[in-house]
Amino acid sequence: MRRPPLQKNHAYLGIAALLAFLIAIPFFASDYWITLVTLILIFTVYASGWNLFSGLTGYTNFGLAWFIGVSGYISSLLIADHSFSWLFAWPIGAVLTSIASIGVGYILLRIKGVYFAISMVALTEGTRELFGTEYLTAITHGGKGVPFVAGIKLSSLYWAILLLATLTLLICYKITSSKFGLRLLAIREDELAAETLGIRTTRDKIIAFALSAFLVGLAGAIHFTYQNYIDPSFAFSIHLTLTPIVMTLFGGVGTVFGPVIGATLFTFIHEILWAELSLLYMSVFGAILMVLILFFPQGLLGWMKEREILPRIRKI
Amino acid sequence: MLNFLEILIRGLMLGSVYALVGMGLTLVWGVVGIVNIAHGEFVMLGAYFAFWAFSLLHLNPLLSVLLSIPVFFSLGVGIHKKITERLVKEHELSALILTFGMSILIWNLAQFFWTNTYRSVSYLTGNFPLMGLVFAKSKTVSFGLAVGITAGLFLFLKYSKWGKAIRATSQNPEVALVCGINTMKMRMFTYGMGIALAGAAGTIISLQWVIFPQMGASYISKAFAIVVLGGLGNIHGALAGGLIIGILEAMVTQYLSAKMAQIIPSATILLILLLKPTGLFKK
Repeated sequence: MRRPPLQKNHAYLGIAALLAFLIAIPFFASDYWITLVTLILIFTVYASGWNLFSGLTGYTNFGLAWFIGVSGYISSLLIADHSFSWLFAWPIGAVLTSIASIGVGYILLRIKGVYFAISMVALTEGTRELFGTEYLTAITHGGKGVPFVAGIKLSSLYWAILLLATLTLLICYKITSSKFGLRLLAIREDELAAETLGIRTTRDKIIAFALSAFLVGLAGAIHFTYQNYIDPSFAFSIHLTLTPIVMTLFGGVGTVFGPVIGATLFTFIHEILWAELSLLYMSVFGAILMVLILFFPQGLLGWMKEREILPRIRKI
Repeated sequence: MLNFLEILIRGLMLGSVYALVGMGLTLVWGVVGIVNIAHGEFVMLGAYFAFWAFSLLHLNPLLSVLLSIPVFFSLGVGIHKKITERLVKEHELSALILTFGMSILIWNLAQFFWTNTYRSVSYLTGNFPLMGLVFAKSKTVSFGLAVGITAGLFLFLKYSKWGKAIRATSQNPEVALVCGINTMKMRMFTYGMGIALAGAAGTIISLQWVIFPQMGASYISKAFAIVVLGGLGNIHGALAGGLIIGILEAMVTQYLSAKMAQIIPSATILLILLLKPTGLFKK
């Protein structure tokens, strides 16, 4: 028997209530909870940003940390060395990262899948080494890192990332139900056929890539302002690429709300595991990734759509 | 000028070992169709294999090089049979994410059990002079071993029945299947060979450099650079690519800095993909 689909009005009411609750959090919750929700929101943007490009086009981006690190470095250096306000430093970092990603995409996105994935790993590793070399010490402070204070209150930072996460989800929601989103899906299913039908695949891929870079870069800038510190091994860490991918795979690749669910769950898991078994933490994540690919490749939302617990539409 | 020759030879010796890692990766990629991101981790495991055999069992490292080949071959066959064979028919990116997870799992477990201490196998230390040049003993022996294994691999692929079957599977799996080749078995065998090459390269590496759980990352990026240089699935290209990367690294280390040398793999990958994505060498 078919289950009745979710009532649209109820869904909107629920989202509005959740949003109101999230906006109100700094007025009553302790700093610990604000911090935790801030992290959830940062990783929501990372995961959704990864999903926006990789989930729709099927081009696996193993260089998410490159977006995060480059934007984080630009904004942190602007704040630390050139006394910019965070209000300007963040968007400048994100926009420059997005522009750089157009250049990278122009080189790497003309070639089929796997080469793209590995060269993004190489790019991230290479940039990390480059930022740590003695030749760039004058600009990047070399390998010893940059501590800085941005002078932003935790609550303002929280509202900023909440705004960004909401916008990111709205953009993902709009894109999946747009013609642009359909073109990206066509690339994932059969790139050659899509091209034959007149889709300018390289252009569409680069647009999605640059949009993903902008959103993830903005979240990266906020992330490092929140940490008050940046160094090459931290900014380009494999952890920053791996975690959002695991989150997205768990929630459901190519869905709008899957990455949110994954980010929420895995940030809590991180809180628990990190304290209990910090040394084995990364191996647990690696193992989860393998298990997800082998036994649960459609993710939680994909699974619920298959069982018709949720309606089978792209907008969820 | 003498100095230049010395650096060139140093680069060639370096490159011969890199080529082993790269050939393993390109072989598996070409025949099995799986991009093994965990390839570098098997190099690390190979290095630790030689280290523990040397420090616990006092096994001669040269013997562990030979011993590592069957050990890592069986390991590779096991992993392929249990895990990666399921993904052969899937989208290639599933395998990519899976081996990425495997890589993270292996090096973090290694870090957990063996800690982050830098270790080395102190065997064959010292130098010897030859024709006015100075050679490190360990590097010369490593070079000899790498050349031996490479020659063995080439002869096997060129003349043996299994080698021919592997090449056939690589060229066209469907036609190979029609001709009576058990392509599933060939994939398993090739995966084992790829891992064995990585493991053997690791044992050779432990003779000359320090080893630590995260060392795989630098070898996987070199191996990718080699595959991109040589063209996907091209064994001869991978050998040439390995030598090129080795010589480049020796030159940059000498004339610029060791830190800059670590940028070579990424720079090579980006440049080659920009200028000639099919690789420099014809199959």
